[in-house]
Amino acid sequence: MNIYLKIFVREIKVSMKRWSDILTGVIMFVLVALIFPLTVGSDQMFLIKIIGPVMLLSALLASLISMQNIFKPDFLNGSLEQLTLSHHSLNGLVLMKILSYWATSSLPLVAVSVFIASTYYVTGTSLIAVVITVLLASTTLVNITALAAALTLSVRYPGALMTLILFPLSLPILIFGSKAIEYSIVGIDSSGPFYFLTGMMLLSFSLGPIATAFAIRISLD
Amino acid sequence: MNFKRIYKYGSPPNYFRLCLKYENWFTVPGFLLIIIGCYGGLFLAPPDYQMGDAFRIIYFHVPSAYLSMSAYAYMALAALVGIVWRSNVAFSVAKSIAPFGASFTFLALVTGMLWGKPMWGTAWVWDARLTSEFILLLLYLGYMLLHASIREQKKADRAASVLAIVGVINLPIIHYSVVWWNTLHQASTISKLSSPSIAGEMLWPLLVMIFGYGFFFWGVICRAGATELLKREKRSNWVKEYVEEHQS
Repeated sequence: MNIYLKIFVREIKVSMKRWSDILTGVIMFVLVALIFPLTVGSDQMFLIKIIGPVMLLSALLASLISMQNIFKPDFLNGSLEQLTLSHHSLNGLVLMKILSYWATSSLPLVAVSVFIASTYYVTGTSLIAVVITVLLASTTLVNITALAAALTLSVRYPGALMTLILFPLSLPILIFGSKAIEYSIVGIDSSGPFYFLTGMMLLSFSLGPIATAFAIRISLD
Repeated sequence: MNFKRIYKYGSPPNYFRLCLKYENWFTVPGFLLIIIGCYGGLFLAPPDYQMGDAFRIIYFHVPSAYLSMSAYAYMALAALVGIVWRSNVAFSVAKSIAPFGASFTFLALVTGMLWGKPMWGTAWVWDARLTSEFILLLLYLGYMLLHASIREQKKADRAASVLAIVGVINLPIIHYSVVWWNTLHQASTISKLSSPSIAGEMLWPLLVMIFGYGFFFWGVICRAGATELLKREKRSNWVKEYVEEHQS
């Protein structure tokens, strides 16, 4: 079997063993998203207005919870160092790790976002727009989170630092993701924000793994 | 390209001497220009016909805003040089730029708020420039915090440098996403203020102040970078020689 495929399968298996971490991320996502209707009231107009930012913010917070699991366990048990020593491209291996991390941490959020959006009275094609937005935004976010996690590997308690690194870098995604959802709900042509999100996703997948692999090398030095 | 010369001045002792030698070439003109600019801006320039004397804060606001942005570019450049050539000199320059860049960003934000309160009625507007300036402050703080929280000096240098470079790629994206977000949403409140057709007697103190700030910045960076270098190389021979030289 191809080494990259092997790494991907191995990562999935490992994170399935730590299923409680996956669940924690999903619970965080749901809780943050459900606090808003309970606190600001269940006015339909208002909920439809805030669903975009709420979705993306909850996804960001959920990734803050789970981002420690991308590299830290492998860093501590030494298998990350073995990966950097292999003759295969570290960029590719890191890309596989990022993809599998996305599949285990963000894909559940994409599924759950359908239900969250329904509780915010979103219906029909707008529901699809919400799902696609969360899909595009989370694929970009995992690359940023992976970079932040790799940079702070050797920091013992990186909590606040992670937030400080993550927030400015993910701001464009939050802005355009919210726009995409808002436009498709209101009924304006929302292709612009969607193009931007797709572009950001491609950019982050082309540069993200390289920067992350470089950051891992630095942290292991 | 004459790489020999780069390597010569890139070596820590030579760079250190160069810094101390030319420091005053920046600091002294910087102070003079700032004094002239202050006098010209605060006393000679006529009051604005709309804003009265309140506009005079421009002589501090605009130079700090310019410097806050260019300092980030310099920092990222130094970080890139440091990563490519593993140069301790470049890393110490990048590290010493960060706190000054953050201070100028903070200064630009505060003077902007002080100016905005009487002019627009609110201290803060969710305008593209203000927001990106605020994000810039966060990027500086992220660099400084990341550097401070990694114990090993070399690791900290390189990790923080990666962050600085990623920030430089991301800064235009952030800026334009805020610009588009804002122009899509509401008419800009301050576009008429941001490109004022400024009169000559108001303009020259501004230019003098901008150059004064720039000279002052580089003078300070000379001193701060040299100090940082001294701290890092405290175990090396040239530092020992330098200290012995200056004790007697």
